[in-house]
Amino acid sequence: MPKLTAMMIVRNEAERYLQGCLDSLVKYTDSIVVLDDASEDNTPEICLTYHNVKLFRHRESTFLDNEAQLRHKLWHYTQNDRPEWILAIDADEFLEEEGIKEIPYLLKQKHFNAVSFRLFDCWEREDYYRTDGLWNPWLRGFSIYMVRYLPQLSSAWPSLKFHCGRFPVAYRQLPHYESSSRIKHLGWANTVYNRAKYERALLQDPACQYMSKEHYDSILWPPEKVKLEKWIERSSI
Amino acid sequence: MSKKVALLTTNFFHPKGDRIIMGGAERYQVDLCRLLRDLGYIVEVWQIGDNWTKEFDGIKIRGLPVSKTEYNTFPELNMAFYENSMSFDYALYFILSLAYPLAREKSIGISHGVYWDWPGFDVANGKQENRQEWLRRMSIALTGPQKLVSVDTNTINYFNATLPGLYHKWEYIPNYVDTELFHPPEETNSANDKIRILFPRRMVPVRGVNETMRAAEILTEKYPQLEFHFCGRGHDDTVEMLMSQWADKHERCYYYWKPFEMMPEIYQQADIVLVPSRSTEGTSLAALEAMSCGKPVIVGYAGGLSNLVLQDYNGYLIKPTVENLVASIEELLHDPNKRKVMGQRGREIALSFDKKKWLANWATVLSAVFR
Repeated sequence: MPKLTAMMIVRNEAERYLQGCLDSLVKYTDSIVVLDDASEDNTPEICLTYHNVKLFRHRESTFLDNEAQLRHKLWHYTQNDRPEWILAIDADEFLEEEGIKEIPYLLKQKHFNAVSFRLFDCWEREDYYRTDGLWNPWLRGFSIYMVRYLPQLSSAWPSLKFHCGRFPVAYRQLPHYESSSRIKHLGWANTVYNRAKYERALLQDPACQYMSKEHYDSILWPPEKVKLEKWIERSSI
Repeated sequence: MSKKVALLTTNFFHPKGDRIIMGGAERYQVDLCRLLRDLGYIVEVWQIGDNWTKEFDGIKIRGLPVSKTEYNTFPELNMAFYENSMSFDYALYFILSLAYPLAREKSIGISHGVYWDWPGFDVANGKQENRQEWLRRMSIALTGPQKLVSVDTNTINYFNATLPGLYHKWEYIPNYVDTELFHPPEETNSANDKIRILFPRRMVPVRGVNETMRAAEILTEKYPQLEFHFCGRGHDDTVEMLMSQWADKHERCYYYWKPFEMMPEIYQQADIVLVPSRSTEGTSLAALEAMSCGKPVIVGYAGGLSNLVLQDYNGYLIKPTVENLVASIEELLHDPNKRKVMGQRGREIALSFDKKKWLANWATVLSAVFR
């Protein structure tokens, strides 16, 4: 089976979803490269309890100042792991069980060098996802999460401070297999953090170049304006 | 020096070049390009697109910035291809109408089945003068290439009755299945009392999806052991959303799609496979794969499905109404022995559609034209 290396950037994840995320990843990846962006809690200690985590630590946090540089470093560490395939995932994202069953077939297939999934943003709780406006997971397209490592491709990153992507630009242009399996994103599941996230988003993108103001504002919408659907676990034949 | 083959199609990639959905036609194209490469040809593909160049499975794919359609033909694409592919020795027109108005001298046209039996075609081209103009253009498209390859006899019969002078150009090369990859399961599901019905098609009306969804609603309510699995892409994102929402609301109804490499296992787990096409059909890869996995099939009598299924022998050949689907599924549901016997016969038939024969048939036609 081709080697699958997961890569992720973490910061202060100890009280959030890191443990569940790593528990899930160890089931279907061979190696997990983690770049800790100067956590102030015991995030690194949690990572080190997993034997196939390769942890790299930064003393000073740079995610908000220069995300591209941080992503590029993570890519560099991941390349050194000699991967055949690379999965870029966040510590609050979970590939559903049906998707985990697909992984061996996706790694062995020859047609595609990239695999994409739809991302479902859980809202207010972990078993409901948001469907209004740009939150609708069905209508905003697929995102590439997994790529075959192709050393001949450039590893250049756009020099953006924000929303600079998970993979080098060349990988994002690969024809990709769109999987029906879903990624469950729990980053918005606890609305206590949403005000801070909203403020951070506008601080980083004051001119609303990356997302519309309306979309940013929708983070703070009252519950009656938000449309939710229940997350139902899928099974195949 | 290797000879060069240019293949013209419309939409292997989405015209914007950013999306590809691997259906039956796309798989056929990939397999044909692989054969050409194995035979020593250099192959490139041309399609509608904004001057981009992509690569897929080691084959260059070029976008030509022309998208105008007239009477279901693509004259601008045809001519842009003709002028741009001058350095190529041979050409393949992946859809018959693409050879209108001017075909390369050493070229082959391919039919994947009749598509003008779709009601929407009549809506667009139903007027007598439009129909005549379409047929006039088709007669030109079919005259240019040296050979015409059809995946079913239905297309050939239609043209023999309509444009009989082309009789000797036609070659019947039915679709194919890798019978080693798609094989019956080692063990049957007899220990499990669940009956799994599989609809392994695109979620589009011509494939009978709406009739099948209604049949699923009726049958799952009546039989607690029944499961319906809808396995295939929608026509667009909204269809996939609606299918998922529908499946979530209906007990024992499931919607998903799977990578090609997983499909043998999916077929092996099924008890009955549905290919209830209303129109726009050839010799369906899905039907062949199901048969090759030893499954009874219930199919519409559209296109070339009657080349694959003998009524009451390896399945049922029906007009795919809700009532007919329900009745034929119930018949197989109540008769496990019939399911088994039909599945065994289906496997036997599938062996005569083995991919090796398809490759050999194509190699013969290529050697007759590309010389």
